[in-house]
Parts: sequence; structure tokens; C-alpha cells
Amino acid sequence: MTSFKNLSIKLQQLENFLLFLLVMSMLGLSVTQIFLRNLFDYGIVWAETSTRMLVFLTTMIASMVAARSIQHIRIDLVERYGSESIKKLIPSLIHLLTALLCLFLVYSSSQFLMFEFEDGTEAFAGIPNWVFITMMPVSFAVMALRYLLHAINQFLQVNEPG
Amino acid sequence: MTLLLILLFIALLLLGMPIFAVILLAAISGFLFLEIDLTAIGIELYRLVDMPLLVSLPLFTFAGYILSESNASQRLLSLTRSLFGWAPDGLAIIVIFACAVFTAFTGASGVTILALGALLYPALLKEGYKDKFSLGLVTTSGSLGLLLPPSIPLIIYGIIMQQMNIGTHYDFDEIFLAGLIPALLMMVLIALYVFWDNRHITVPRHDFSFNDLKKSIRSSAWDLPLPFIVFAGIFSGKLAVSEVAAITALYVLITEVFIYRDIKIKQLPDIAAEAMTMIGGILLILAAAMAFTNFLIDAELPDSLFNWMKQHIDSKLTFLLLLNIFLLIIGAVLDIFSALVIIVPLILPIAISYGINPLHLGVIFLANMQIGYITPPVGMNLFIASFRFKCSIIELYHASLPFLLVYLLSVLIITYVPSLSLFLID
Repeated sequence: MTSFKNLSIKLQQLENFLLFLLVMSMLGLSVTQIFLRNLFDYGIVWAETSTRMLVFLTTMIASMVAARSIQHIRIDLVERYGSESIKKLIPSLIHLLTALLCLFLVYSSSQFLMFEFEDGTEAFAGIPNWVFITMMPVSFAVMALRYLLHAINQFLQVNEPG
Repeated sequence: MTLLLILLFIALLLLGMPIFAVILLAAISGFLFLEIDLTAIGIELYRLVDMPLLVSLPLFTFAGYILSESNASQRLLSLTRSLFGWAPDGLAIIVIFACAVFTAFTGASGVTILALGALLYPALLKEGYKDKFSLGLVTTSGSLGLLLPPSIPLIIYGIIMQQMNIGTHYDFDEIFLAGLIPALLMMVLIALYVFWDNRHITVPRHDFSFNDLKKSIRSSAWDLPLPFIVFAGIFSGKLAVSEVAAITALYVLITEVFIYRDIKIKQLPDIAAEAMTMIGGILLILAAAMAFTNFLIDAELPDSLFNWMKQHIDSKLTFLLLLNIFLLIIGAVLDIFSALVIIVPLILPIAISYGINPLHLGVIFLANMQIGYITPPVGMNLFIASFRFKCSIIELYHASLPFLLVYLLSVLIITYVPSLSLFLID
């Protein structure tokens, strides 16, 4: 159990660090581009496209992280105003449903990934699109797993005596 | 059948399903209905990469999170204090001004109440303002500044507007200009209410001290250029809004980490992760909403909605009134970001057909949403204030009510006097 916990903490740190790296790269690329353009009248051709890809990767990784502690924006009326038993049961069902949706998204985005892989369209600087799209099924799979765990946790709490 | 589905989605939304998930469920059922292959959902989500200027959102958010973690709020407070402390009701005016500036820079996510409210609420009490008044002022001022650059909701509205095919192209400087006067109007009306409400109370006035002013200017010397950098960047027309965001983030990073040393380098990864988690969640909703909007357009829903509206509502004034009521309801249940990405694509074409300028619509939209921050059942700032000041939602709601009415009045003025939003734009 401890080794599992250690692994999950390591994974969380990795996710956080990736997000940090992504925002610093966006910042670095954008600032470099501004300087090059204004001082040397020169620009990196793929700077614009690559920052968009970075924003996309950020979105996917951030979505995983948000699923970690149920941070995805939602209306939390039930938790605020519901009765004790409702407060436990309903979120458990909703988490399960969200997990199922994420599983479907794994399927849909894997299909899309396969098309793109066969197609091999270039995103920028020789890097094909599918490299970035790979993040979609990965991220949705992690989200599905996390929401499933939330659902189980919540459900077990319901059945706890007292 | 369709009605049942819609009710089901609303139920899921109210039961606490993540908003991105509900929108995607709606999009999936829509695609099934139109017999579109479901692989399309993945493709639609990936269309996020086609949106220009999107990088401005993570960069401004990063800058905002660094600012709110630093001591910039204290420096802003002592500066506004030495500027306005001498005036009648000086401290209350400081609350309005400081909160508006701080909200504009930190992305309107309730952080103003946490960072500034905690300092301002006890200060107001100490000056002799009534408890109820102080609580209401601090809670409601937390959403002032939504209409000031570089507020994130304003940028999101701009991005959605540019993304849609509405015939005319608007630049970001125009969107920011449109919000300026309405934001000022709100601040002035709140200030007038402050004077009126405290007319029987004598609040001590502080002498103006040139030395104090010099001292606080010196201590915030590195923060002060920030608004000028943002304004100059946006209104010079030389930089794209994403580039202004990059320069802002770089400047904030350098000043708060290396000059003021409020934030240690070690803290940066966590701050970045927190900021990106917040904005990433919003971007996912944006991607989902675009997929959903595409289904709606394929299903010709905007057209039927439009025709129905044209049959039943013939005057611009009635439309505006209904729009206000509709937006107030939406603002009470949905957070501002989800509301923006779901509702704007639907109402923008309709509003244009009633002769409403898209920039004006943006201002109306955000002004209404600003009230949503403090209306039950899900007014975010009510909950943040209740957590921060340790008092009940009911108590806060009572305290906020008079301010809410002032906001309502300003929303009406902003709605029915379009020139307030448009006269800075030629």
C-alpha cells in the first residue's frame, strides 16, 4: 500500500512539473518570438503553431490533474444543500457516470489517433499531429480511472457504519 | 424525446456532474441523433488547436496566480491608502478601487476576497463602519473589475467573438475599450451608495501625507508599471493580446520572484500547476462547448431559435429586457466561464439581428454575470466570503443585497445606454 501511495505521489509531482514546464515553454517561446520580431525583424515560423500545441497539451494534462481532486468546474448544489445520505450517494453515481463518459472519450480519441497516425499530417517542424493527439486517450484514461476511484471511495463511505 | 433529454442534462448538471462532461454528453447524443460518427467527438475537441490567441489565457492566469500569491495586494493597499485615505469615506473608496484593479489582474476567480478582503474587512470595522455594510462591500467588490483589461472573462468573450463568423472583425483593443466606461460607472455608483449609506456616520479622516505617498510609491515601484505595460501593449496596436500576456507574465515573474522575492523559485512549479489546472479546466469546457455548438448549428437550432424569437419579440428593448432576465438566471446557476462558452455562441447571432453591437453584448453579458457572483444558489463569492469571514450565507446575502441592487441599476443603465460601451470606439 505504501509503495502504491509513493508511486501516486511521484506521479502527482510529475504532473505538476509537466504543467510548470509547459507554461514556461509557452512563455519562453512567446517572449523569444516578440524579441526576434521587433529587434531583428525575424521570426520562428512554427512559433505560433507550437504554442497552440502547448496550450492543447496543457489542457489535457490539467484535465487529468483536475480529476485528481474533483476540481472540474461543476454546480455543487447537492453537496451544499443536500441531506446527509443524498450527499454521499448521488456524487458516487455522478462520478461513475463521468468515468464512463471518459472511457467513451478514450475510445473516440483513440480512433481519431489511429486516423491521424495513418495519415501522418504534420503539425509543425516535421512533428506529426498524432504525437500531440496521443495525449488525449492517455489523459481521458487517467481521468476515467480517477473518477472511478472517487466513485468507489464515495460509495464505501456510504456503507460505513455510522 | 428531445425535451426529456434536455431535462436529463439539466438534472445531471444540477446534481454536480462536471460541466465539460454534461456538455459532451449532450454533444454525443446530438451526434447520434444526426447519425454522425462518434469519432467526431475526438476531432472536435482537438479543434481547440485552431483557435488563435488562446495562449493568452494560460499566460495571464499564470501572472495572476503569481500576483495573488505575492505581497502585491498589501502594496496595492498601502498605495491606495496614501492616495485616497484623506478623502471622506476614503477607506471604502479604497476597497472599490483596489478590488477592481486586483480582480482585473488576477482573472476574476474569487481570489480578490481571499487576498484583499481579509485585510480590508477588519480595517473597515476599525474605522467605524457598520459590520453589515463592511461585509457587503467587501463581498460584492470581489467581482468589480471583470470589465477591466486584462480580465480573463473579457478575453474569452473576445476569442469566442473572433471565432464566430459575424461579418465584422473586432480587435481586442476595442473589446477592452468597450468595458472601460461601464466598469467606471459601476465603481462610481457603488461609491455614491457608500457616501449615502454612511451619511450619518462620522468616519475619521486621515491627513494626506506626501511622505507616506512617496514611501508607498517607492515600495510598489516595481508593481506600478504593470497596468501601464498592459494598457500600452493592448492599445498601441503593435502587440497581439497573446504577446501582451507573455510580457505581463515575464514581468510579474521577474519582479515578484527576483526583485521583491515574495515567491521562492521552489514555489513556482506548484503555483504554475494550480494556475494551469484552473485554466485547463476552462479550456476543456471551451473545447467541449465548441463541439456542442457545432452540433447545434448542424441541427439548425440557432435558426429555429432565431425565427421563434423574431415571431414573438419584435422590439429591441423587449429583447434586451428578456436578455437581462435570462442572463441573471444563468449567472445564478452557472459560473462565468461555462456561461460564456455555452451561451455566447447561441445569443450573439440573435443579438446582432436585433441591432445590438457585439461589443455592447459582451459588456452586457459580463455585467450580468458579475451579479451572478453574489446571487444564490451558487454565487461563488458568497461561498468564498462565507469561508473567509466565517459567517453564514444568509447573513452575507443580506449584507450584499443593497450593493446588488446598485449593480442591478448599473446593469440596466449599461444595457439601455449602448453609447456608454461604444463611444470610445469609432
